[in-house]
Amino acid sequence: MQRTDADLRRVYDAVVVGSGAAGGMAAHALTVRGLRVLLLEAGKKLDLDRELKSTEWPYEHPRRGDMPPDSHALSFNEYTIRQPPYAQAAKHKHVYSYVQGWSGSDYSKNIVVDERDHPYTGTDYAWVRARCLGGKTNIWGRLALRLSDYDFKAKSRDGFGEDWPLAYADVAPYYDKVDLYLGISGQKENLPYLPDSIFQRPTRLNPGEIKLKRGLSRMGRVVTPYRAGVTTEGLKHNKYRMRCFGRGACGRRAGGCDIHAAFDSPTGLILPAADTGRLTVRTNATVREVTVDPKTGKARGVSFIDTETGKSYEARARTVVLAASTLESARILLLSKSSAHPQGIGNTSGHVGHNFCEHLMGPSVVGLVKDLVGKPRTLDDGRPGGFYLPRFRNLSERRPDFIRGYGFEGGGGATMFPGNSLSTPGFGASYKKDVRDRAGAFISMGAFGEVLARYENYVDLDPQVKDRWGIPVLRFHYQFGDNEKKMAADMAEAGQEMFAEAGIEVVEVDRQILTEGWSIHELGTARMGSDPKTSVLNQFQQSHDVKNLFVVDGSSHVSAACQNPTWTIMALCWRSCDYLADELKRGHL
Amino acid sequence: MKRREMIKLTAGAVAAAPLVKIQAPAAPQAAAPRFFTPEEFALLDELTELIIPTDDHSPGARAAEVAAYIDARLAESFEDEPRQTWRAGLKLIDEISGEMHRQPFMRATPAQRVALLTRISRNEAKPEKPEEHFFGELKARTARAYYTSRIGIRVEMEYKGNTYLKEYVGELE
Repeated sequence: MQRTDADLRRVYDAVVVGSGAAGGMAAHALTVRGLRVLLLEAGKKLDLDRELKSTEWPYEHPRRGDMPPDSHALSFNEYTIRQPPYAQAAKHKHVYSYVQGWSGSDYSKNIVVDERDHPYTGTDYAWVRARCLGGKTNIWGRLALRLSDYDFKAKSRDGFGEDWPLAYADVAPYYDKVDLYLGISGQKENLPYLPDSIFQRPTRLNPGEIKLKRGLSRMGRVVTPYRAGVTTEGLKHNKYRMRCFGRGACGRRAGGCDIHAAFDSPTGLILPAADTGRLTVRTNATVREVTVDPKTGKARGVSFIDTETGKSYEARARTVVLAASTLESARILLLSKSSAHPQGIGNTSGHVGHNFCEHLMGPSVVGLVKDLVGKPRTLDDGRPGGFYLPRFRNLSERRPDFIRGYGFEGGGGATMFPGNSLSTPGFGASYKKDVRDRAGAFISMGAFGEVLARYENYVDLDPQVKDRWGIPVLRFHYQFGDNEKKMAADMAEAGQEMFAEAGIEVVEVDRQILTEGWSIHELGTARMGSDPKTSVLNQFQQSHDVKNLFVVDGSSHVSAACQNPTWTIMALCWRSCDYLADELKRGHL
Repeated sequence: MKRREMIKLTAGAVAAAPLVKIQAPAAPQAAAPRFFTPEEFALLDELTELIIPTDDHSPGARAAEVAAYIDARLAESFEDEPRQTWRAGLKLIDEISGEMHRQPFMRATPAQRVALLTRISRNEAKPEKPEEHFFGELKARTARAYYTSRIGIRVEMEYKGNTYLKEYVGELE
């Protein structure tokens, strides 16, 4: 990428705030339409290949991949017992969110934020943030799923919440474009509630997973290879990425693919966009608010703080595109108070920060496939993921106890570290042989369920607490409700039932719901809708109030569905950016 | 699994294992421990080897220098509490050995050592006594260190990844 210095005297066609899945996509979609774009990223630009070092063996690292002793990752107990801001009670020099408690976290410590610099208050929330070029796409879980009209029109089916102001047919062409531009691996299943993508070669299921698949087909349920946002056949149009060669690094860290077979925003979107010559990137630029032209009430640009010097600047543009993440975009909208927009820009509805939703997780099952004990182990972490078991609740039947549904992510077989070494009883030669014989025979899966978008779940600005740069922080008013609790109970029951049906011995069941936020799928704080009184954006993620303001990340989602949101975020963003480019050309913005 | 793939897997395992075995160190390097005393370190080394011993399949915890890794991590621990726990735990092992066999652990016979570990691991799933809690900590750290060592990953578990692969080894249609 050529060195690009932001020219703050000029008026760009668009200023994009954030460089993750949404911001990267906006940079791509707008520059290909010929727009001059300034992309602002709050964090630094990292040399990710030097950070991730994914082929380093554990024993080549002094702490086998763990962080230095003065660094601490928050645990489930800390999120449960303490109150935000969580870093306050910790003695360590650096405090990180729970993902840094996974193995190999020394490789991702510069990607995620230090909680000390980024406090928040209110109810418990395990908020995971990555401030660097590419954001969370640098460490994402890679599961890339489409939504369907079962999701977009969920209210019409069960009466709860709101329908989206668009249908699957509107988004499908953009899902196709995302598939082809970024690459996705998977297998066609022809399910109306989980539409297929245009797949590259799927990673295949292993013997234990096949056993589950065959068992579940008797119940009319589906097990399909992990639909991964990973190119398995390569992308001729992208020189920054390589095809996956299954070397087995996917399970070792909090994500991170330094051959860039897995999609990440920098190599998938930003570097190619910069090659058009129309993209300027400025990192270490923390946006504080959207600035407003007092005469027209329209957005004039954004004000930002250079995080290295502490100096404030304004970047000006004909359109402002927020893509800072569901919670950070809501925060910027709320911070942008002016006489024209006293409740925050784009917030005449009062819905900014509200209808906040995500995915519920925690309930999971572990099983033992007895026929695999003592068999040669396969290289089961030589793939971006194991399997996906799509939603089966509230499709044709109706549950009496809860609405909406959940899917399971799972995998079986051997990984580099044999997890059963920590659960196999005993010691000595028999223990060692048991670990060896059974390491490849386990299979596990955990559920991801839809959390209902409710007005009473929301974030606002804390009146006192500020972050390291003096910017007011978010205060959470957010808790799982009755529907989530009943759904979680069903997840654990259904998981056991399915393993039993497939002839897999259940060895462990976890019923605990993890802290709010754990799924890292926060959504819905500036929802789309056709009624400006009850929604923030129209179907093109354009502010109802301010025509040249767009919010193109997960905050626009009307409901969470139960599918991982990244692919939908990018498809919607591309669609909205096409609309933005058309409208700008027509002089409507 | 297809027959072709089974053969490929087995052949790979046989071909790879001896190569790595030759490179594996026969005995730990005699670097001075950073936290434990030499006596404590010798006791820890013996305990780890009893948990994961050398067998006809691969070298055990001693060859994988598990005690040295545990020592290094404790030496740099941010909190002092884990160091105290480990020192107290090792002391307790010797006390129980004195009670059971009238001599410290390292002077007990191999059978007596196993008898002690059998006793403190009896309630592994639901530890109550301090020595039972210590066994859990000892075993977890030993397993983590061993199965992240070169010997643990490449000789004992014969891990086939972290290398260029033309296709996913062991894949099944």
